[in-house]
Amino acid sequence: MAEPRSVRVKHRWRWGAWLLSAIVLLAVFMLISAGVRAKIMNVEVFLSYLTSEQVLIGARNALILGTLALVVASVIGLVVALMRVSGNPILAALSATYVYFFRGTPMLIQLLFWFNALPTMFQRVYLAVPFTDVVVVDAPTTAVVTPFVAALAGLALAEGAYMAEIIRAGILAVDKGQRAAARAIGMTEYQVLRHIVIPQAGRIIIPAGGNQYIMLLKSTSLASAIGFLELLRITTDIYSSNFMVVELLAVAAFWYLVMTAFATAVQTALEKTFPQR
Amino acid sequence: MDTPVKAAAVVLDSVSKSYGSVEILKNVSVSIAPGEVVTLLGPSGAGKSTLLRCINHLETISAGRIYVHGQLIGYREVGDTLHEMSDKEISAQRRSIGMVFQSFNLFRHMTVLDNVMSGPVHVLRMSKPQAEALARELLAKVGLPDKANRYPSELSGGQQQRVAIARALALSPSVMLLDEPTSALDPELSQEVILTIRNLAEQGYTMLIATHEMAIAKEFADRVIFMVQGEVVEDVPARSFFSAPRHERSRQFVARHAG
Ligand SMILES: Nc1ncnc2c1ncn2[C@@H]1O[C@H](COP(=O)(O)OP(=O)(O)OP(=O)(O)O)[C@@H](O)[C@H]1O
Ligand SMILES: [Mg+2]
Repeated sequence: MAEPRSVRVKHRWRWGAWLLSAIVLLAVFMLISAGVRAKIMNVEVFLSYLTSEQVLIGARNALILGTLALVVASVIGLVVALMRVSGNPILAALSATYVYFFRGTPMLIQLLFWFNALPTMFQRVYLAVPFTDVVVVDAPTTAVVTPFVAALAGLALAEGAYMAEIIRAGILAVDKGQRAAARAIGMTEYQVLRHIVIPQAGRIIIPAGGNQYIMLLKSTSLASAIGFLELLRITTDIYSSNFMVVELLAVAAFWYLVMTAFATAVQTALEKTFPQR
Repeated sequence: MDTPVKAAAVVLDSVSKSYGSVEILKNVSVSIAPGEVVTLLGPSGAGKSTLLRCINHLETISAGRIYVHGQLIGYREVGDTLHEMSDKEISAQRRSIGMVFQSFNLFRHMTVLDNVMSGPVHVLRMSKPQAEALARELLAKVGLPDKANRYPSELSGGQQQRVAIARALALSPSVMLLDEPTSALDPELSQEVILTIRNLAEQGYTMLIATHEMAIAKEFADRVIFMVQGEVVEDVPARSFFSAPRHERSRQFVARHAG
């Protein structure tokens, strides 16, 4: 046998990819320098609005609305998904109808419906505990359904349909064998769900859920149509009086990017906390 | 209820089971004494798995009655009608019936220790330290004392199956049902699982084992039940099944699995 020789490994140079990178970088540079030369944006105005009180309130409202909507949507989604897999034909049909309806109509229409159409259909909201004198709510609909309430209801109900499908897929991904094994050691149906199905479905749901959270944070901008003071509404209100359109849209875009980064970080942290096995 | 039913560990009394119009179990009657090790043999599709799953009510039956230690499984008899029990009552009955599956079915998000502890903690409401001590003892018993903190995906098939056996034993079942416990394993790994099962047999566990593994049937089973197409064709001592099979189908089966 020959004496082993030390050899150098030289990998192929991927010319095409590097060439393409160079072209794209050049194009981006030219675009930016053209923008600077044309003075498309006043950077000082951009920076002064970026951390202005109004804008920060708008960003905070968007974050609160989007996050609350995700939480409510997840609860709705879990219930609707469980109805779908319950094996009861009526519950399953109700669940499928809900998903079809709320996923099948534009979110904007749903928001407009809750805010504008509902009060014309029902003038008062009256809610009482049956067979007692306890009245929970008795008020004009317009007083109860504020822009925030309408936006939250609209986003959560629409998003609930998406979450239902995601959660259903997660539940179905937990194999039947494990459920049979859990029953066989004497777990009740609720315990099987609680200890076996949901923890594993949860791990499958996290990436898709993170995606939905990002979509939802951006969809809060739809609430501008019903007068909720979120980020887009506030920035458009400002530029309609001072005409700094580019600067203010850039301010809004900046904060949406920050929110998206936050949602991504939450998702990554959850994925680390619950690793896939 | 008559004495034979009370004295036996498992009784199937004229059990039938259909999926739609297809009859999977046809009027099956079987009785297993405490401490007996019975293998359930038969060609694929004979209904072995279905029979085992009926015994702990993972499947419902269409007719007949099943008793485990004298307790009617899955139903309450009122007058001449059987009423299916509630989820709670059925799960309480399952505690005393251990089951081991062909595909192990360990809980993949739990460590080996948590898998074995899951029954004692969630079902028996045992304290965590007590359950952990029990789980460690059982893991030692199946030869895996050092795998407690591993996840199922980090174990070999044979090791997973032994964990699954420990998980079932953790509820101190009075009967063990094993559905092809070695079919997913290559011969070498089968061997360690067979050894574990053999130990249980020697400790006096009542076991009903569906298997294609002749070693189990020949070496330590007391009895063989041979099924074909949902019917019990032969129910005899293990020795006589292999030395003098009575029916044509059993003769063919024994001839094919000889060696
Ligand atoms: N959920 C089901 N729906 C309809 N038919 C089924 C169902 N489960 C099993 N069967 C049928 O019941 C029959 C018996 O199945 P079973 O799994 O009990 O057989 P087996 O003896 O365990 O076979 P194997 O040795 O292949 O495991 C088969 O014909 C099978 O196709
Ligand atoms: Mg089978």
